[in-house]
Amino acid sequence: MVCQALLARRHETIADVSQRARLPISLSLTPGAKPRRWMPTLAAGLSIGEYARSLVRRLALLTAVLLAAIWALSGQGYFWPAWAWLGLGDLVLLDFSASWAWRQPRGAVRRVACVWALVGAAAVILIFTWLLTWLLAGAHTFWPAWALLGLATSGSAYSLIALHDRVLVAHGRRALRARIDMLTRTRRQAVDAQAAELRRIERDLHDGAQARLVALTLQLGRAELRVQEQPEIRGLILDAQREAHHAIAELRDLARGIVPPLLADRGLVAAVESLAARYGLGTAIEVDTRRWLAPAIESAAYFVIAEALTNTAKHACAERSWILLRGEHRMLVVVVGDDGCGGADPSGSGLAGLRARVEALDGSLSVDSTDGSGTILEARLPCG
Amino acid sequence: MRVVIAEDLALLREGLVALLRENQIEVVAQVEDGPGLLRAIAGHKPDLAIVDVRLPPTFSDEGLLAAIEARRRQPALAVLVLSQYVETAYASELVGKDTAGIGYLLKERVGDVRAFLDALHTVAAGGTVLDRQVVAELLAPRDGTTGALSGLTAREREVLALMAEGRSNTAIAESLIVTPGAVEKHITSIFAKLELSACHDDHRRVLAVLAYLRVSS
Repeated sequence: MVCQALLARRHETIADVSQRARLPISLSLTPGAKPRRWMPTLAAGLSIGEYARSLVRRLALLTAVLLAAIWALSGQGYFWPAWAWLGLGDLVLLDFSASWAWRQPRGAVRRVACVWALVGAAAVILIFTWLLTWLLAGAHTFWPAWALLGLATSGSAYSLIALHDRVLVAHGRRALRARIDMLTRTRRQAVDAQAAELRRIERDLHDGAQARLVALTLQLGRAELRVQEQPEIRGLILDAQREAHHAIAELRDLARGIVPPLLADRGLVAAVESLAARYGLGTAIEVDTRRWLAPAIESAAYFVIAEALTNTAKHACAERSWILLRGEHRMLVVVVGDDGCGGADPSGSGLAGLRARVEALDGSLSVDSTDGSGTILEARLPCG
Repeated sequence: MRVVIAEDLALLREGLVALLRENQIEVVAQVEDGPGLLRAIAGHKPDLAIVDVRLPPTFSDEGLLAAIEARRRQPALAVLVLSQYVETAYASELVGKDTAGIGYLLKERVGDVRAFLDALHTVAAGGTVLDRQVVAELLAPRDGTTGALSGLTAREREVLALMAEGRSNTAIAESLIVTPGAVEKHITSIFAKLELSACHDDHRRVLAVLAYLRVSS
């Protein structure tokens, strides 16, 4: 009878407290009332689920406090509310761990997170239960050890199985990306080194072999002046001089084919202007970049323009022709166009060679040449 | 005649010095780079500077820029620029507004010693000498256009090229193995086709050619 009365009083008290606890909520729901900080409201934009969860959490807290108060008022003794706290704490812990697991990306990762949320909650429950038995009943052995070990092992085993593929694929992908990065970098270095080397060769041809041949023809010329009366020797000297001249001309053509001297000396814009003037097509040149360009990029842009102008002059019967050099993000865009008869073959040997040259720099080349409406050739060269 | 030579290759520089001295031309200074040239012309006040286009340290167009700067500082200085290759852009920059005392020749022309010495004297005397390749490039028939130059006959082009090199009528006649009268006739015809007023002074003829070439390029 006493017990029943006590229970009834307790229920009443809980109901009363709940009633009082709800009071601020109803207040906060009335329009114009200031929301209380300790209890979020639906009006603050919470979803029903979030609202219910926060309500449960706060109710749990209130219940815990209330039980402690009842224990204090009912003569203390054995601290039984601790077990109720454990139960309420489990609920809150499960709620937190489940919501954490739910925030993980969908699929295997979320499944593994759910497993670890359960394992974690179970471990905490075990440890706290042991703590309570130790504090309240004086148990000395750490009995949850085997259970914890079992939980950790099964959690790890599940993670390993579930994420095994992902780990391997991610590793493979990382390795592949590193390889692509390295290949891109080394190819660029190789192309740059080749361009620098070609310029050095061009310079060496001009200032080395060719200059020495010039000095040779000068010496021969001086010798020739001294043997005016010996026609045989003079003839030999003149022959030698002629040969030297041929050699000089060949070296000059060779060097020009490697890198046009104006490109090496003054850069792309000056070289393109000279090129356009040489073709005499009245080509309009627009330059919209002041970026420093690597020798490989300059050479590629130059040879694209040279090939395009040659084609225009040979085949296009164009009235107008234009060149545009534009800096765009980390690209140099080269556009060469004419209003001629079009019909250029993009797979022809000249254009195919250009494409190979541009693609070796990770660039792209496109040709738009429909019959009767001119030809536009556009090369995009990365220069960042 | 007092000459300064700016050339970085010792072999060629010494060859030039020897050639000039053998022909009673005084070489007052030999330098290897652009700043050296400017110092030499300030110190020695020469009549003529022979300058290689590519000089140290970058071996691009320092020689040309130094020659233009030297002319700016001493307008009376005659300049003969030597280059391993012909670039019409360089020729027109060098010629600028004042064509008096300017020469632009391929380096290998030094082998033809007599013509080279002639060119030196022409330039030093205030004349203009352009390499025949510059002229050829400017006169070359161009695809897709029908400029005034395309109206010239092949022989007239040859005569015009030789005129631009600063040759006299007699020299042109010898070179083409024709009579001086025939050369005169070609020149009159060229001037008519290019709509230039005819005159007989060699130097002014070259100026006229240059003026035309500058406009057309």
